[in-house]
Amino acid sequence: MGTNLLDAELVKRVQAGDTGAFDILVQKYQHKVINLVGRFVSDHAECQDIAQDSFIKAFRAIQNFRGDSQFYTWLYRIAANTAKNYLASRARKSPGYTVDVDDAQHFEGESGLKEYSNPENLLLTDEIKTTIFNAIENLPDDLKSAITLRELDGLSYEEIAEVMDCPIGTVRSRIFRARDVIDKELRPLLE
Amino acid sequence: MTDLDDKLSFLLDDHPGENADANLDEVIADVNLQYRMRRYHMIGEVMRHVLPQAIDTSFHGNVMARIHDDNLQQNAGQPLTETPARSASILSWITLKPFAGLAVAASVAMLTVALWQPLKQESGQNDDSLVSADQQKIQQLAKQQIQGGVVTASTRVQPFGMRWKVERETPGLQQKLNAYLVTHTEYSSSMQSLIPQARVAGFDSQQ
Repeated sequence: MGTNLLDAELVKRVQAGDTGAFDILVQKYQHKVINLVGRFVSDHAECQDIAQDSFIKAFRAIQNFRGDSQFYTWLYRIAANTAKNYLASRARKSPGYTVDVDDAQHFEGESGLKEYSNPENLLLTDEIKTTIFNAIENLPDDLKSAITLRELDGLSYEEIAEVMDCPIGTVRSRIFRARDVIDKELRPLLE
Repeated sequence: MTDLDDKLSFLLDDHPGENADANLDEVIADVNLQYRMRRYHMIGEVMRHVLPQAIDTSFHGNVMARIHDDNLQQNAGQPLTETPARSASILSWITLKPFAGLAVAASVAMLTVALWQPLKQESGQNDDSLVSADQQKIQQLAKQQIQGGVVTASTRVQPFGMRWKVERETPGLQQKLNAYLVTHTEYSSSMQSLIPQARVAGFDSQQ
């Protein structure tokens, strides 16, 4: 799933002084960074702090980012190094396995976080997941297929159009409509 | 459903499309669009099972608040518009920098004077009395060392720093004075240099 163009444009704007563009990058990558840091630190509060520090370090250093690598690779490397430095400074051990910074972007699946400082967040997350999965189940087949091929399989619009045998414009519309339907169910939980 | 919502979805999937800059400007300026984008991200994360087990809805706000609190915009080095307060601060520093140097120099000078005064008082004599005493001793020594000779050298003590300046065209006086210094230096084990040795040695010999 390519995210290079949007990230590159956002990074360019941040480097030009647009803090709002960094705001979007934070929203986009916050959960991925938290997941990555969670491989190193099991405590929820510490994980949140390290993830925050990682974003702030990235913001401070973004003038040095030349685009030689993708932004999220660069960001993940900062997060991994921040977590490792934290563990070194606290002389703590990671939760039993290590994460190579080059492979960090491929980490998916269950989070390694073991402790939660706020049970409400845990409950909210479960409710979000349930709501989204229920909304997907209730989608029409064409919308469900489009959003699944896009989000789960990571296919491009062109590839989805080929699989579904329809124009790219239709794919674009189906994906958006699927998101819009799910969002209508999700939005009340987060307001 | 709006046209911009559709573009937002398209943008999210890394298809900038037409007027991508304008669309991005709208997203950056519109908090509601940002929240929608965040929910769209969340949908994908849930489907891929990468949403953390406990999300913190205040995380993003905390990060941005810290960025603003730490005033990180200025540290990032981008060409931000300087605030009047910051400009005034820089201007005042540039203006006051030479005076800061002068203030340091004046402080050092005052400290030196303050330290010098007690040292002078500890000696029990001021410079004039020392010169006067030395002048008398030298005159007495000259009388003892140059017995019967015509003394053409001036034994008058010069102002501070010039007291040992004699008329060098008088070889006899210079030779005798040197002999006197060498002789008395042998008994001045605690002395550090020639000029003080000569003066104190003369004092010792008088004692």
